[in-house]
Amino acid sequence: MSENISPDEKSVPFYPDHITLEAKVAMWFGIGLIIIGIIGLFNPVGLQPPANPMDTPAHVKPEWYFLAMYQLLKYLPKTIGALVPVILAGIVLVWPFFDSKPDKSTKTSRTRFIIITVLMIILIALTIWGEVS
Amino acid sequence: MILRYRREILLGLVTVVAVGVLLLLFTHGGQVAASTEPNFELARAAAGVQSVANPGTMLPEAKQDPCLHCHIAGEEKGLWTPLIRWLVFGTAGIAAVFGMVQSVSMWQTRAPWKPLLSRAGIWIDERYEIAKPLEKMLSKPVPDWQRRWWYCLGGLTAFFFAVQALTGIMLAFYYQPTPDAAYASIQFIETEVRFGAAIRIIHHWSANGMILMATAHMLRVFIMGAYKKPRELNWVSGVTLLIMTLAFGLTGYLLPWDQRAYWATTVATEIAGAMPAIGNLALIFLRVGWNITALTLSRFYALHVLVIPIITVIFMGLHFMMVRKQGIMKPL
Repeated sequence: MSENISPDEKSVPFYPDHITLEAKVAMWFGIGLIIIGIIGLFNPVGLQPPANPMDTPAHVKPEWYFLAMYQLLKYLPKTIGALVPVILAGIVLVWPFFDSKPDKSTKTSRTRFIIITVLMIILIALTIWGEVS
Repeated sequence: MILRYRREILLGLVTVVAVGVLLLLFTHGGQVAASTEPNFELARAAAGVQSVANPGTMLPEAKQDPCLHCHIAGEEKGLWTPLIRWLVFGTAGIAAVFGMVQSVSMWQTRAPWKPLLSRAGIWIDERYEIAKPLEKMLSKPVPDWQRRWWYCLGGLTAFFFAVQALTGIMLAFYYQPTPDAAYASIQFIETEVRFGAAIRIIHHWSANGMILMATAHMLRVFIMGAYKKPRELNWVSGVTLLIMTLAFGLTGYLLPWDQRAYWATTVATEIAGAMPAIGNLALIFLRVGWNITALTLSRFYALHVLVIPIITVIFMGLHFMMVRKQGIMKPL
């Protein structure tokens, strides 16, 4: 709440100043979605042929956000490949209980930034690889 | 009495006629572009259904009644039905306009005029006394360092979730979660339902936006170290929300019941089935048996529209309350 804000800090009230800013940002995204909707009237998302259990298509691809995982699974044994995402999610879930020391300087956050950048590059590379393969 | 208000009555009539004309124009002018004629026979043949035993499950013929502005499609044509409708709605329109004009004229006679909304607020506050806590909540000062775009990412995720809820409800009005009808009902949404194609594409892209924003929000929190004491549980609830978002994507993907949906789900559930010890259990839970059948579609639909949304809303509430209580972490 407002307790952790010192009174001499430069601030604006949440209502109406800050909420207006947030509403403006949301409005622009809303306008973007409406434009997508208008485009959709003329180019709908569409459908592939109806599901047919007898006919396996040549290239089965999941949605882009599962592509990196899917690509990883191609080159890992099945059991390990299924365990990796579960273990990763578990580590991310309990991360704050192991990395609990408060930051002393901006150096630690820079280290985390580098780690995240490397991980994201790997993730994006896997996704692109999955997309083109 | 009636003569006194003849100006208002005239105004009401003019409004009703104008609205009628506008409705007529839009009924004939606002046709949604149809990409392909829905092929219901193809969908039925693929599902292995030769003839529909229960005619109630069949979709209506893909034809628009040209007289939809006064007749419901397929309804017996007559003079009295539209006449009574026009009379009822016209009277309601006149009453509404009359009320509006009266309200405006009250502005001149009543000295301290209060808008209807604030009067409703006063009425509620007399009974529940929420004005003061609300005022305290709303007037919370937001320091300038918090007014940066990277603090918007979480709120934008919530915005996309709201869009998903809204468009999802709209789609659920027309979608039918059975292998016989799912494919044809989505064709129906895209070709026959007014703005159905727009709603579907918004649902499609807003889902992608939600995943992007949630990931970006998570990376922001991680890089800044905002997950550290005392905000550990907020991080846990946030990761749960991200997993729920991905579960939304997974379950929603099967619903169109086309080739891509069917085979992507086959692969995804196979991956879940490859887990040691609990693999088969997970596979049977997801597929309701060993194969993807009508029951799988029902289960994914129930997960997509009931279970996951409820969990998401609960965790979102906890997430918001915690951030409200603890505030945003100030970077060094």
